[in-house]
Amino acid sequence: MRRARGGGAILLTVLGLMVMGPASSALAQTDAGTDENIVFDVGLTEDLTSPNPFRACCTADYEMLWLNYDLLYNFANKDLAPEPGLAMSSQHSDDYMTWTFEIRDDATWHDGQPLTAEDIAFTYQFISDYKLAFFKDYLPFDPTFSAPNPTTLVWESTEPTFAPTIPPWVPILPKHVWEEFTKVSDDPAEVKKAAKEYENVPAVGSGPFQLTEWVKGQSFTMEARRPYWGGDPVIDKVVYHIYENQEAMVQALKNGEIQFAEALKPTLFDALEGEPNIQTHVAPAGCFSNFAFNFGGQGKADTHDPAIEDLVVRQAVSHAIDKQAIVDSVWQGYASPGDSVVRPQQNLWYHDIPADQEFAFDLDLAAQMLEDAGYVDSNDDGVREAPDDGHPLEWEVVTLSDEAGSNDTGKLIEGWLEQIGIDVTLVPVSTTKAYVLWGDGDFDAYVWGWCGDPDPDFILSIHTTDQCLGWSDGCYSNPKFDAMYQEQRTIFDYEERRALIDQMQEFLYQEVPQIVLAYENDLQAFRTDRFEGYVPVPEPDGFYLFGWGSDSYLSLRPIEGAPTAAEKPGLSAGVWIAIAAGVVVIVILVALMRRRGGEEQA
Amino acid sequence: MGSRKYLLRKTLHAIATLVFVLTFNFFLFRVMPSDPVQLYARSLHLTEEDKAELEHELGLDRPLPQQFVVYMRETITGNLGTSIKTGLPVSEMIVSRLWPTILLVGLSTILSTAFGLLIGIKGAWQRGSFFDTGSLFGSLVLYSMPEGWLGMILLIFFAGTLHWFPAGQYESSGAAFTGFAHFFDVLNHLFLPALTLTLGYIGEYAIIMRSSLLETMGEDFVQTARAKGLQEKLVRRRHAVPNAILPSLTLIFYSFGYVLGGAIIVETVFSWPGIGLLEYKSIAELDYPVIQGVFLLFSAAVIVFNLAADILYGYLDPRIREA
Repeated sequence: MRRARGGGAILLTVLGLMVMGPASSALAQTDAGTDENIVFDVGLTEDLTSPNPFRACCTADYEMLWLNYDLLYNFANKDLAPEPGLAMSSQHSDDYMTWTFEIRDDATWHDGQPLTAEDIAFTYQFISDYKLAFFKDYLPFDPTFSAPNPTTLVWESTEPTFAPTIPPWVPILPKHVWEEFTKVSDDPAEVKKAAKEYENVPAVGSGPFQLTEWVKGQSFTMEARRPYWGGDPVIDKVVYHIYENQEAMVQALKNGEIQFAEALKPTLFDALEGEPNIQTHVAPAGCFSNFAFNFGGQGKADTHDPAIEDLVVRQAVSHAIDKQAIVDSVWQGYASPGDSVVRPQQNLWYHDIPADQEFAFDLDLAAQMLEDAGYVDSNDDGVREAPDDGHPLEWEVVTLSDEAGSNDTGKLIEGWLEQIGIDVTLVPVSTTKAYVLWGDGDFDAYVWGWCGDPDPDFILSIHTTDQCLGWSDGCYSNPKFDAMYQEQRTIFDYEERRALIDQMQEFLYQEVPQIVLAYENDLQAFRTDRFEGYVPVPEPDGFYLFGWGSDSYLSLRPIEGAPTAAEKPGLSAGVWIAIAAGVVVIVILVALMRRRGGEEQA
Repeated sequence: MGSRKYLLRKTLHAIATLVFVLTFNFFLFRVMPSDPVQLYARSLHLTEEDKAELEHELGLDRPLPQQFVVYMRETITGNLGTSIKTGLPVSEMIVSRLWPTILLVGLSTILSTAFGLLIGIKGAWQRGSFFDTGSLFGSLVLYSMPEGWLGMILLIFFAGTLHWFPAGQYESSGAAFTGFAHFFDVLNHLFLPALTLTLGYIGEYAIIMRSSLLETMGEDFVQTARAKGLQEKLVRRRHAVPNAILPSLTLIFYSFGYVLGGAIIVETVFSWPGIGLLEYKSIAELDYPVIQGVFLLFSAAVIVFNLAADILYGYLDPRIREA
C-alpha cells in the first residue's frame, strides 16, 4: 500500500514538473499579462525563411521586408505604377545611361541614424558587386552608383536602361550595418557568405515597422517605428502567427486569436461565409498557373519528347485544355481562365488576347490537327505515334503536391490529352524535387505557375534563350522573340513599348512555350469586430495585406470601443486550479478508501 | 555476476545498433536520387560559383570514404552540420525544439500509460463485464484512430466551435505573458495536443495490459493465492498485477518509437513547435542536414528506450538476466 501511494506521489510530482517547466524560470516575476499596446495578429501558413533579406524567398519574407525597409520607388495603389518612395523624383540623360534621383531627407534608420543617398548607393553597389540573389536582376548592365551629396543618387549604366523605373524591388539597407561585411575578407565569396549568414534581428531598416522577434516555427513580431516619413502607423505591433495547416488557421480566426488569414483554400473560404464578425475578400490574381513544355537542352537527363518542338502539337494541346473547367472544378470559381503571360492585375500592360486568335476548347479539332500533321495511332493502342520515327506520344507531366491546385489540374489535363491520343503519366512531387527534375530536364511538361512584378519585363524575360536553366520554364528558344525582348528594353516611351509588349503577348500565345491556365484569386478573410481601415492594393479590390506595400498596416486602427487585445481562448487560471484541486481530492479519497480496505483486511 | 554481464551485453548491443544507424544514415542520404546542390540551385537562384561553394560546404566534393570519416567525426563531436534552408546549425535548431516535444510526449506518455494500465487491469479482472466490453470497444476504436484525424476533430470542436482552447501553437505569441500567466497560457495550448496523443495511445496500452493480466490470471500461482483464501483484491494487487505489468511496461518502452511518430503528426496539426514538426518541415523542404540530424536523434531515443526497457525488465524479473 505504502509503495503504491509513493508511486502516485512521484507521478503527480513529475506531472507537475513537466507542466511547470516552461514557466518555472519566470515564476518569480510578476504577472504582467497583456501590455497596453495595440496588437494586430495575422495568421500565416508559412514561416519566415530568414530575416536576412538575401535569403528571402516567399510570401512571409516579402511581407516582412515590405514593412521593415523602404524601396527607391513604391507602387501606386491605383495601378501599381511606380510612385515616389525614398526617391522623390528622377531625371535621366538623353541616352538613358545616367539616372539622377532626388532622395528625401526625412527618412531615418530604426537606430536613429539619418538615411541618405549614400545608403542607397551602397546597397545597390553591394548587391551588384557581390551578385546577391534575386535583387541583382533588378540592376542590369553592371551599373555604378554614387551619392555626390546626401540627397542625390546617381545610377550610371553601361547600356541604355529603364531598369530604375521598373522599379527595382530591392530593400534599402543601412550602410553602417552592412558595410562591415565587405571588410571581412578580400575574397568576394567570403563577403557574400558573411552577409548571407547575418542574423538580422532586430532588423535595422527604415520602414514603418521593425522586426524585433522571431520565434522559429511560431511567430514573428514587428513593432511600429515612429516617426515614419510616410505617416505614423496607429497599431503598435503586428504579430504573425505561423500555423502548419489552413484548418487550424481558420479555427484561430473564428476564435479571435488572429485578425487576418491569408491565401485560403476555396473550401475553407466558402465555409467562412456567414460566420459572425468575419468578412471574406476575393483579391484578383497575383499569380497564374501554367502548363509549361520542356524543349530540352538542359543536358544531363533531358528526357523531353521531340514532338513537343512541333508547334502543331503544342497548339493542339492548347485546344484540348478546357480552362473554364479548371477554373470551375479546381478553383471552384475563384479564378478566371488564363490567356496572356502578363496578368490582368498588371493592368498597365495586360493584353487580352483577341477572341478570334484564341484556341477554343475543342477536342475533335485538336485530334484532327494531330491527325493532319501525321501523328496517327497506327497500332491502335489509343496513343498516337510521331510521323518521323514512329515513337509514341507518351509524356511525363510533373505536378507539385505542395502547390495548391497543381495535382488536380494535372489530372484534368491527363484526361483531356488521353482523349486526343497523348498518353500522360503524372509525376506528383514536392516543389523542391520539382526543381531537380526541372534542372535536369527530366520531364515533358509541368503544371506550376508564376507571380511577379507589375512591370512585364521579368515575365517576358523567362521566355528568352539565355534564361535556359535560369528562369526559363523548359528552355524555350526563339530568336525572333529574343530580338523583340531586347528591343522592348530600349523603348522608353510607354505607348510605344506597350504596343510591342502587346505584340509579344500575342506571339507567346500563338507559339505556346507554355499554356497559361488560370489567374487564381487570392482568398483572404479578416475579422470586422476589432480593426478597420484596410486598403485594397491595387484599387478597387486588390490585396488587403500581402500585396504591394504597407498601406493597410499604416491605416489600420482599432474600432472605437472594441477590446484592445486579441482573444486568448483557454481556461482561466482559476478553472485550472479548481481542476487540479479536484484531482488531488479524488486521489486522497481513493487512497483513504484503499487504506480502510487494507485495514479491514488486516 | 549474471546481471553485470547482462547489462554489458545489452549496452554493447545498443551501441552497435547506434553505430549501424549512424552508418546507415550516411549512406541512406547519399543513395537518394537527388543531388542536394542541384536541389537548391533554382529555389535559391544560385550561380555556378555558389553551387561549387555549397558543394564544398557540404563536403560533397570529397571522395566518399573521406566524407564518411568526416561525417562520423563531426557527428560524434556533436556537429550535425548547417541547415541549407535557414543557414542555422542543425544542433541549435534541434535543441530549440526539444523542450516542447519532451513536454508533449512526456506528459502524454505518462497519462496514457497511467490510464491505459488502469483500464486494462479493471477490464481484465472483470472480464466479460459491461466495463470490459465497453472499454475494449473504446480501446480498439482509439487504437485504430489516426492521430491526425482525431486531432483535427478536437481542434475544430474545442477551438473553432466552443472557443475553449486556442487553435494550436505553443503560447500566445506577442502577448508577453510572464510567470503564472505564461504557465497557464502554455497549459491551455498544451491541452488539445496532449489530449490527442494521450487518447491515441491509451487504447493500445489498455489492450496490452488487459491481455497480459488475463494470461497471468490463468497461472498456477494465482490459483494458489486464491486457494490460500486471500481476498480477491489482494490476489489482484499482490500477485496478478505485479507479474502482468512487467511485459506491459517493457512493451510501452518499446512502443516509444510509435509515440514519436505520432508526435510528428500531432505537432503538425497543432502547429506545436517540436522536433516532430521540424522533421516534417525539413522533409517537405528536403533540407538534408536537418532530416539527417532529427533522424539520428529519433533513432538514438528509440535505442536508449529499448535499452532502458531491457535493463528495467532484467532488474524487475531476475529470470531474464540469468537467461
